Amino acid sequence: MKEWIDSVLNHKRRQAFPLITHPGIELMGATVKSAVSDGRVQYEAIRAASETFHLSTCSSMMDLTVEAEAFGAKVNMPEDETPRVVGRLLKEMSDVEQLQVPALDQGRLPAYLLANQLCVSNIKERTLFSGCIGPFSLAGRLYDMSEIMVSIYTEPETILLLLSKCSAFLVDYCKAMKSTGTAGVIMAEPAAGLLSDEDCRLYSSDFVKQIVQEVQDDNFTVILHNCGNSGQCTQAMIESGANALHFGNAIDITEALSECPPHLIVMGNLDPVSLFKQSNPDQVKQSTLELLNRTKNYPNFVISSGCDLPPQTPLENIRAFLEAVEEFNRSI
Amino acid sequence: MKLELINKLFECVEFGKININSPYPPQMKGLPGADEITQEALVAGVNPDEILNRALIAAMNKVGEKFTEKKIFVPQMLLSAKAMNASMNHLKPYFADGSVKRKGVFIVGTVFGDLHDIGKNLLSMMVEGAGWEVIDLGIDVNTEAFVEKVKEYPDAVVGISALLTTTMVNIEPVIKAIKQASPATKVIVGGAPLTAAFAASIGADAYGKNPREGIIWLDLQSQKMNN
Repeated sequence: MKEWIDSVLNHKRRQAFPLITHPGIELMGATVKSAVSDGRVQYEAIRAASETFHLSTCSSMMDLTVEAEAFGAKVNMPEDETPRVVGRLLKEMSDVEQLQVPALDQGRLPAYLLANQLCVSNIKERTLFSGCIGPFSLAGRLYDMSEIMVSIYTEPETILLLLSKCSAFLVDYCKAMKSTGTAGVIMAEPAAGLLSDEDCRLYSSDFVKQIVQEVQDDNFTVILHNCGNSGQCTQAMIESGANALHFGNAIDITEALSECPPHLIVMGNLDPVSLFKQSNPDQVKQSTLELLNRTKNYPNFVISSGCDLPPQTPLENIRAFLEAVEEFNRSI
Repeated sequence: MKLELINKLFECVEFGKININSPYPPQMKGLPGADEITQEALVAGVNPDEILNRALIAAMNKVGEKFTEKKIFVPQMLLSAKAMNASMNHLKPYFADGSVKRKGVFIVGTVFGDLHDIGKNLLSMMVEGAGWEVIDLGIDVNTEAFVEKVKEYPDAVVGISALLTTTMVNIEPVIKAIKQASPATKVIVGGAPLTAAFAASIGADAYGKNPREGIIWLDLQSQKMNN
């Protein structure tokens, strides 16, 4: 969304974009299971988080199973934890050849699209982003993560065919999310962070680029999230063509900022676990200010958590983060 | 001849050449892999102990160094581990009859409630490649399964992994139960959300930030046990 990107690039004030759907779920007393299964509950959770913390930007859930489930993968859904793919759907080339690209009425996809629609209709004056998984991370959930890591070398044709089906699906899914009126999509591609730059380009970014070319325009931005990248595959992420890159705490964000062109939005990367969940408000505030000061010469930086904040993150730590951003903005 | 075979096997493990049919790495396509060269070495009379120490352990040590230095990544490391496993299969009879000694027994598993396995798999392959016997209990392993295995192998060291903030807290009761059943048993923990401080707070004896750190600590335990 060009307006949002311009607002980041042309203002000195830092925007804060923590990924906080789990705190939203807890604020309304719902379970994770209900939020990932029922679009209305998910919307209420996003609304609760955005209103409680007065966020200008928010996103739908980072659930890395809904797409794999639509393809036919089995999913374990505990009450208060993020869902997980169980077992291995695909084992060889013939399985991949027979794999059908699912329609958008499969599994929990309609619930997610409903959550997006309700957010756009009811949460006003805020920039809302959809969420989806990236092609390599989706393929890993269908083929088994350890196996796909080896098979990119031993059976590259099988994996490339699987990736083409994953990206074909993600084009359809992103188009459907775009039609709800959200400002863009955060595409979570953490598994690609386990690859070298060259492999990340070949098995992730080339496919992300296909999706970007189909859906990204002045009204819809792709934010490519890769919290696995520890610095080795930033160039491949840039080459995806996504208008914004979101990094996890494994990377030195100033190194990422120096690698990225100034028109590209760079987001990240406070540790969601050891800082947001396990530290106290003073430590959160101190780390947030330290990161803001370290990145103050980069207008394209948006401060964020390095990944989705986990369940049971103390709300006072999120408040401390937002207070630190406000304090920094007052000082400039 | 024997030295040449050991060097070749070292190279197969370092670069992840599993067997003659494996297309990786491209520069070794069509050449024998760790599987065939180990057989050839044993037929040629190379001591299995030399195969383990001078080829497999030495190569996996180099692989671990390259991974730590970000010269290789998870796929290449897994391929090296598979090549090492292909060779290790031919050494099993020598482990069984006691003619080749390993450093110790390492029981490893992902804690109950957690279904993630890539980190645990990487660690167990690297530990095996470092000369340990590895008993992999898999994912979602309950307390009883860990305790039962510790009773079966009282000298073993235990590794427990978790990838979720919601499951890392499950490690503490497992450690308590293990220590209750076998107070001298050492436990190392690891996984993305864990820290050294968290490991200490739940009673773990060590925290492995990466496989290499874990192996260094394990080897220290082995030296203590054998002294």
